[in-house]
Amino acid sequence: MASSENLPFDGIKIADFSWVWVGPTSTKYLADHGATVVRVESLSRPDILRTIGPFKDGEVGPNRTHAFNDFNTSKLGLTLNLKTPEATEIAKRLIAWADIYIESFTPGTMAGFGIDYETARQVNPSIIMVSTCLMGQTGPASAFAGYGFHAGAVAGFYDITGWSDLAPDGPWLAYTDVVTPRILASIMMAAVDHRRRTGQGQHIDASQLEMGLQFLAPQIFDYTANSHQVSRNGNRSYSAAPQGAYPCAGEDQWCAIAIESDEEWTALRKVLGNPDWTADDRFATNSGRLENHDEIDQRISQWTSALQPQEAMLLCQAEGVPAGVVQRSSDLFKDPQLEHRGLFRELDHPEVGRVPYTGHLFDIRGYDSGPRFAAPVLGQDNERILKEFLGMSDAEITEAVISGALE
Amino acid sequence: MLSPYTILDLTDDKGEFASMLLGDLGADVIKIEPPEGSHSRTMEPFLDDAPEPEGSLRYFAFNRNKRGVTLDLKGEPGRSALKSLAEKADFIIESAPPGDMDRLGIGFDTLKQTNPKIVYVAITPFGQDGPYAHLAANDLTLAAMGGQMSVQGDPNRAPVRITVPQVWLHASAEAMVGALTAHARMLTTGEAQFVDVSAQTAMFWSMLHARIAHQIQGSDFNRGGSILQLGTLTVPLVYECADGYLVMIPSGATMTKMVHWLVADAIVPEEWIEGEDWPIYERNLFQQNAVHYQLEEVVDAVSRYLKRRTKAELLELGLREGVTLAPVNTSEDLVRFRHLEERGYWLTAPLPNGDQVRAPGLLARPTATPMSVRHWAPTLGQHNQEILGEMLGLSSSAVAAASGQKG
Repeated sequence: MASSENLPFDGIKIADFSWVWVGPTSTKYLADHGATVVRVESLSRPDILRTIGPFKDGEVGPNRTHAFNDFNTSKLGLTLNLKTPEATEIAKRLIAWADIYIESFTPGTMAGFGIDYETARQVNPSIIMVSTCLMGQTGPASAFAGYGFHAGAVAGFYDITGWSDLAPDGPWLAYTDVVTPRILASIMMAAVDHRRRTGQGQHIDASQLEMGLQFLAPQIFDYTANSHQVSRNGNRSYSAAPQGAYPCAGEDQWCAIAIESDEEWTALRKVLGNPDWTADDRFATNSGRLENHDEIDQRISQWTSALQPQEAMLLCQAEGVPAGVVQRSSDLFKDPQLEHRGLFRELDHPEVGRVPYTGHLFDIRGYDSGPRFAAPVLGQDNERILKEFLGMSDAEITEAVISGALE
Repeated sequence: MLSPYTILDLTDDKGEFASMLLGDLGADVIKIEPPEGSHSRTMEPFLDDAPEPEGSLRYFAFNRNKRGVTLDLKGEPGRSALKSLAEKADFIIESAPPGDMDRLGIGFDTLKQTNPKIVYVAITPFGQDGPYAHLAANDLTLAAMGGQMSVQGDPNRAPVRITVPQVWLHASAEAMVGALTAHARMLTTGEAQFVDVSAQTAMFWSMLHARIAHQIQGSDFNRGGSILQLGTLTVPLVYECADGYLVMIPSGATMTKMVHWLVADAIVPEEWIEGEDWPIYERNLFQQNAVHYQLEEVVDAVSRYLKRRTKAELLELGLREGVTLAPVNTSEDLVRFRHLEERGYWLTAPLPNGDQVRAPGLLARPTATPMSVRHWAPTLGQHNQEILGEMLGLSSSAVAAASGQKG
């Protein structure tokens, strides 16, 4: 990273009261690109991500997990116990300091702590406040408190992931936590741009369900216009065949192959060596292949079973057939394309040491961007934030410590 | 929020969600299609199942808040019109294979001469260069190569994708963040920006804490179907109910209330209420402390309770009692979810056949800059005259030549 260069969000200040994945991932985009982000946590209620793995070398500890560390790079850490009145006063000073104030609790929680939007606007008239929760700030289910898998189920993602003859598997973990942070980060960037031009702040109600539903828009129209409901279909497409993840040599190794046209089917036949079975009239058309999918899958599986997944992929690709290895974390770390893009970035962390982090998913030409520094250990920057950002005196800080506000 | 900005959308199905999201945030988006129409107009689902050029519901869903023109970019008049539009634009988003735009003479290096402050965003499967840049790819192969499939699905079957295509939506959402980050960088450097978006890395993000698991803990996360793995604990997430499925976690908070329902239903004896320290049940499990009722027994009792009731009943019960019970919704359930109705989420869209149907709502609710759908997806070449004729001042014969619309 060219440290002499001004970063895109240099000078933007964020008071980040959010937790788990949605809010912190959104603010990470701004933090990595220059914003000063103060991540507020409490020792009495640590972020749940600090309690799940993967822990460095399997040794459990709140500062040792990548579930937290890979999602909170380039941020500073402040601990505040908002159940104490002293902490509320510090929170107000932090909001007064900030350009963006974000929280992700059940509606009404921040009001209970004495820092709702009205209060925030009093201490900072141009504050941009973002409130994100599963269902939104209003409506009969606004108090529905849960995680991204709950919202993923309500949105409809569970019903369409898995096999038609089994109960739904659901997407990997908290799917709305994957799809919403990009939208939320963009909304914050746009709100900052609007304020730069107009001086105007605002309060943004961002429901994770509603943002997530954008990823199902065609299927919602299919229902409202056609009364159709898509259901889970393994790896198969409803419109083209064959498509699937095919077993390869070795244990639990797979290569995905997905044919979308007659041309690609012809190319796949060539890859397979044009065996007789592929000349069967039943497989000549897309509708015939959709109808006889099981039989084709069996044949393709026989071919892939003798090959390493990488071999199967490259043989297909040599004829222009879309194919890709089902890659795990360990494969991805060795993926030559991700290496070419410099995706993995090493950073030093006081407890974890030097380990790889996810770099940026988009590259801006001429800008060697990436996470700037490792995630904060609990309470790491308390003194610096209170002194330098909020202008508190040593006596005030001592009082805060004694009152339990910083726990 | 983004109302001062103009976006040229040259993408097909791989990127049109990106410009739609920016349009929702207020930008003026001009969709530029080849004379025969975008590839996404050929994609299912179709209105009334009829594969007509104006009948793709996928196209309809992801092209709201855009005006539409056709340009024949293989001809000089079309390219010249694009350059004139680029002079007036702030962002260009395209999803052509790497190098194609340069070969047409309308790549970044050319357009930044025309507009030295342009933010140019390119969306491709693997990025603009590198060993995989030219591999054939689609939704399934990228869900595999990006890692998501490795952690998704039943462990006794092949890894699975989400049945409804998601990959290009992840890439598009990432492109939106890239566009706004690059815009902020343009404001600091004063120079045009090129953003290289890779769908594979966008999918990598969707693995959440599984993505860098191997380098941290020494092992990969593996797919476990519909169960939640928390350290040494394995908890089922998906439960059968009378008319479908439901997602919930038998956590301490949930069991504290639910145990009374189990007793009322005579599924467990009354001593269950006092027989366990329910509020800290999951903590005890986590810390491998002794519990009176084993997790399997609890899961079994919960399963029996849920099986007797419908999804709708359980959702209402949960909302009333403050217990997070998330139905595995179908599209029909979702559209009937009264919370969204009462929150005023749904919009009404005029379909190409004249029907008015319920449509997915806006991204979020900012108080100062309300979002709206200013127009629904354009028909092919709908705004040729308005944009090429009136905005660029081309004569009607020049409009015909540039747009490739004969006669």
